[in-house]
Amino acid sequence: MSEAVLLILLSLADQPRHGYAILKDIQKLSDGRVRLSTGTLYGALRRLLEDGWIVRFQEEDRSRAKQAYRLTALGRRNLQEEVSRMKQLTRVASLRAARKEA
Amino acid sequence: MQSLYRFLLLLYPARYREEYGPEMVAVFTEIQSDVWTCGPMKRIAFAVREVAGLLYGACCEHLRMLAGFYGRPVFSSRRFGMRSEFPFPKTTVSLMVIILAGVLVAIDKAKAIQQSVPYSHLEVGPIHATQQLMLLPTLLIMLTGACVGGLIGWAILFAFRRSGSHRFSGVNSSGAGQHGGRLTM
Repeated sequence: MSEAVLLILLSLADQPRHGYAILKDIQKLSDGRVRLSTGTLYGALRRLLEDGWIVRFQEEDRSRAKQAYRLTALGRRNLQEEVSRMKQLTRVASLRAARKEA
Repeated sequence: MQSLYRFLLLLYPARYREEYGPEMVAVFTEIQSDVWTCGPMKRIAFAVREVAGLLYGACCEHLRMLAGFYGRPVFSSRRFGMRSEFPFPKTTVSLMVIILAGVLVAIDKAKAIQQSVPYSHLEVGPIHATQQLMLLPTLLIMLTGACVGGLIGWAILFAFRRSGSHRFSGVNSSGAGQHGGRLTM
């Protein structure tokens, strides 16, 4: 899973968001380190939609140009697996780094 | 900047543009209005990021389409159940790679044979510059022939679909059945 995809999934984890809100949230999540272009964002959203990790969220007052997306159960499960994998990796990395210092 | 963005969007496949184009333009407009209040460096960084993102995205989408990953497969389980557009299926790419590898091996073998033949036998000796000049037109003729063959094949399939003959595969042979004897798609 690429960093962009992970950040998009994290952004959609708590609530459905549309493109602009996802970009702003990713910027906030990464402390301004990651700024996705719209091309990258929609390329990733298209792949996630095709894989069934996210779906379009129907809002009454939204036009076609401002679609919101929400995480599916499959997307949430994959996100949780990725977070667990990262946690495990971070734990091992911290142990190894501490051992090296000692 | 927005007109440049719209122009670059034209580089994407038509289907992708129809589905995501309006959304992308709307998001871009919102970000642009945010960034335009910042300094010139941020504006330049934004413009470069967006242009690079669009160019990269367009390349990826075209590659996906050529590789046959776009939407459902070109040929469905039903025979001749073809769509109105014909992108390359995945197998074509693998086949082309195998053919290319075969051609490269053949060239390598030919070079080895050429080196082993004494130069006194001019009729089978190294290729002269004039003969090399003929090689390119010959290859072009072969390529054109292959394209024409492909087009003829496509035209036959297209004519077959236009004639409606493919619908016979959906005919219920047991009689009227649940569709009342009508042809099913």
